[in-house]
Amino acid sequence: MAALWGAFVGVVISVGASAALFWGTHRLFALVERRWAAVAAVSGVITGAVAGALASGIRSGPDSEQLLAGSQLVWIIGGAAVAGLAGAAVGIGWPLSAARIVAVQSRLRALTFVGPAMLFVALGLIIPLLRTIYLSLFDKRGTDFRGLANYGEIFTNAQSLDLSGWAGIFGSQLFYGAVVLFALMAVIALYRGRRRGVRADFSPGTIGIGLGAGLLLSFAVFASLRGTVMNNLWWVVAVTFLSTALGLLAAVIADRVKRESLAKSLIFLPMAISFVGAGIIWRFMYIARPPQKSQTGLLNAIWVWLGTLRPSTGGAWAAVAVLASVTAVLTGLCAFGVRRRQTAIAVGSATAAIPLLWLIYRFLGPGVGGSVPGPNDEPIAGTILFVQESPFNNLWLMVVLIWIQTGFAMVILSAAIKAVPADLIEAARVDGADERQVFFQVTLPTIVPTITVVMTAMIVLVMKVFDIVRVMTNGNFGTQVIANEMWQRSFTEFNLGLGSALAVVLFLGVVPVMGLNIRRMQRGE
Amino acid sequence: MTHPSHQRTRRWRRMTRLIGVLFAFSLVAAACGSDDDSEDADEAPAATEAMAEESMADSMDDDHMDDSMDDSMDDDHMDDSMDESMDDEMMDDSMDESMDDEMMDLSGTKVSVFGPESSDEEAGALRDALDHFAAQTGIEITYTGARDAADQINAQAAGGNPPDIFIFPQPGKLADFARDGYLEPLPADVVAAMNEHWTPAWTVFGDVDGTQYGIPNKSDLKSLVWYKPALFESKGYSVPGTWDELKALSAEMIANGDTPFCIGIESGPATGWTFTDWVEDLMLRFHTPEDYDAWVAGDLAFSSDEVSGVFTEVLDLWNTPGMVFAAGGSIAATPFGDNGQPLVDNDCMMHRQASFYAAFIPEGTVFADGSADAVDTFYFPSVRGDQPVLGAGTLVGAFRDAPEVWEVMKYFGSSEYAEVRQRAQTDRKGGGLSGFLSAATNQDPSVYQPLEQSFLSILQNADVVRFDGSDLMPAEVGAGTFWTEGTAVVNGDKTVAEATQVIDDSWPQ
Repeated sequence: MAALWGAFVGVVISVGASAALFWGTHRLFALVERRWAAVAAVSGVITGAVAGALASGIRSGPDSEQLLAGSQLVWIIGGAAVAGLAGAAVGIGWPLSAARIVAVQSRLRALTFVGPAMLFVALGLIIPLLRTIYLSLFDKRGTDFRGLANYGEIFTNAQSLDLSGWAGIFGSQLFYGAVVLFALMAVIALYRGRRRGVRADFSPGTIGIGLGAGLLLSFAVFASLRGTVMNNLWWVVAVTFLSTALGLLAAVIADRVKRESLAKSLIFLPMAISFVGAGIIWRFMYIARPPQKSQTGLLNAIWVWLGTLRPSTGGAWAAVAVLASVTAVLTGLCAFGVRRRQTAIAVGSATAAIPLLWLIYRFLGPGVGGSVPGPNDEPIAGTILFVQESPFNNLWLMVVLIWIQTGFAMVILSAAIKAVPADLIEAARVDGADERQVFFQVTLPTIVPTITVVMTAMIVLVMKVFDIVRVMTNGNFGTQVIANEMWQRSFTEFNLGLGSALAVVLFLGVVPVMGLNIRRMQRGE
Repeated sequence: MTHPSHQRTRRWRRMTRLIGVLFAFSLVAAACGSDDDSEDADEAPAATEAMAEESMADSMDDDHMDDSMDDSMDDDHMDDSMDESMDDEMMDDSMDESMDDEMMDLSGTKVSVFGPESSDEEAGALRDALDHFAAQTGIEITYTGARDAADQINAQAAGGNPPDIFIFPQPGKLADFARDGYLEPLPADVVAAMNEHWTPAWTVFGDVDGTQYGIPNKSDLKSLVWYKPALFESKGYSVPGTWDELKALSAEMIANGDTPFCIGIESGPATGWTFTDWVEDLMLRFHTPEDYDAWVAGDLAFSSDEVSGVFTEVLDLWNTPGMVFAAGGSIAATPFGDNGQPLVDNDCMMHRQASFYAAFIPEGTVFADGSADAVDTFYFPSVRGDQPVLGAGTLVGAFRDAPEVWEVMKYFGSSEYAEVRQRAQTDRKGGGLSGFLSAATNQDPSVYQPLEQSFLSILQNADVVRFDGSDLMPAEVGAGTFWTEGTAVVNGDKTVAEATQVIDDSWPQ
């Protein structure tokens, strides 16, 4: 109870002190009219004292026992004296005209209100930032100057940037997939162009294929060029792109279903889960247990169950029946598309049928899922080590963030879609545009600014990804990212120099994106 | 137009709202302020406080604590109380000489302890043991436990608000902190008290460049293999006496369709330490203690034939088909704590792990009583015929030089602490093995169960005792690359040559 009263009194005192401060400055600035020189001098003294205290604090480091020791008093009084004299000189040297007095007064009053906020930003953000940059130039305990050696270490260390596997890019299936898709895109575009008498015509579908190819290519690159920095870039590319794309898809589809709010709530739900919580949840989803035991991780349980479906046990026939009926539907859809000259439907359903046909083949032949025949032909679980198998374990970790962020993208994009003026869409319909054209020619161009905002916000968030990696692998198995590396260097190893340098690298990566976002906002998007 | 009385009620309402907001703020402030204090700080009996006021030095300290809330708002006050406590300490220093053996009245003083033990059983028993001492002396002792205490202490020390006493899980860390000037060297009387209870084999880990900074307060015996004797007997297996016999036994087990080992190295942020334990234990067996010391000190490189040979030896054993019972067949994916259940379930025959692993073996398991399901241990076999022992443990170090802190430090190093803690931890575990062990001498052996007594006799009688090497190495290696690169080789991501090179490169110059 004593503690509570103490706190109560403290709060009353600090609120009173703030009120007194505001009142005092208000009175002080009212004096500008009559005693400009005195006001300038007093302001100088206050600013100088604060600056002197800060300077001496920075100079002597965080040694709190030294607070207000003799040398610091000298700094504070010295600062106050110098700035006070300067203020007086300004006050006497530049007397104010009547019009200037009003301007100065209003400016000073504004400062009274903005000042405390600025002070907190400075104390909580600017000064730590400067100190981090300062520390990043020093050794592990912040004593010996090392120049840019810490930064050099980040970009030359094979742990953080390992480009030696570049040749692997051209050997990966992802690369060939990307090449095939690019070729497909080119062929379609050229074909369409010839029909319309131009060199190449990119329909939205063609561009979609191109984006998919680009994503595959980037995966091929990130899976071959390894290291912390590359992992971070992989996260940024994959999570930003996939979350936005899935969010857009969800927003568009949700726009047309009956229980829209329910559907959107379900997709948005993961946003309510913390990153740490989501990491733990997905660890359980991915977990693999010893092959002799039943699997408790959902994904491995499904995978191993699929493996038990074999022609000999009859389970495979049921699976084949289901798959075959779905394939039949898709084939019908494809024929419908060809008849109606709807290339998107035809190509889409044909593409969707390919993996199904492959699955049917697997079920009848070598089998699907994680199960290998044991010595007595009994099935033994062949689990997938989602989290341990590098480099694609990175993707399984990203799934967690995509799962969370898709809801975020969907909500914002859905709002943007709903904000597209109805008369615009009406007009397009009257002109004879079909659904597809309305979306790609009217809706999508209108919401491009929102998509940019979503993507930039996402990039900033993904760049700093920490919790998920920390919880799920702690950077082991080739999943290290800059933020977790920063934590380990700074706090596990207590290497302040290297940790600060990593923080600065992260900061420099985020700043341009932030700047872009702020400029957009200022333009009044 | 509003009615005047209406206006009044509105003003009143506004006033009450303002007071409400202030009150809410103060609740928050009080909650934040009491973070550092103990949970039961508010319940401190009035009598103790009154007594405390009689002694001048203590009352000052008391003021300092009681006003800690105001301090956070009022800078001047903080400076005052800080100056006071500084004066206080200086005074205590000068008093130390004159008063020496005379027991000072320390009731009402406060000592904060921070450490890595955070489970209900371990932290609870630790608190019980501290409460026992608090009741004797009147010192208010608070213990805070956090799993990542070893990380947090860095920031606490650098930020100027360390605890009074930290329980170091790694002597290497203690040495770092001592060299950086954060720790207080032990006064002569504290060293003398420690030497009454601990042999030089253990106190040496708290010795930094010739000055004693740490007191051992807990010991673990690492060179153990857990197994079920009755199962061994029924299957016709015998306890191996040498490394070659162990390998032969494993081969025999695989041939019989049994899985020899349960191994898992996953341990959250500390993933990989189980592997380092195997490497250390075998380093001590394949090579001389001198080689081991040179390796730990950084003079024998990881990429040397000696060390990388041991890496290979461990990996060859682990990677033998059928050798290991593990999640999805992956040692790297198996949490080290998940090895107890399969051992009890007969899914594997053996598990090499330290004495504290008793705490991870499922509840209800009986130990070494000769019954069919009893779990027992055998000594991890030697290679060269000597009987080296790999040990580990925790050490306490002090961040504040004050008589009450040194009293608590002395208590941490006493056999009394070990006995009280062991009793409490056994109770909390509901009988069975407690998982706690202390190599302090002069303990009442009856507090330990027969199996624990056998651990103690191994620890106290071994010719060659070496501390867990990764705990002695600099954090960059011992809690960094040795773990992560070890995990990488176990997971098959890297070769031994690649991994050992990375570890060598990370050794601080």
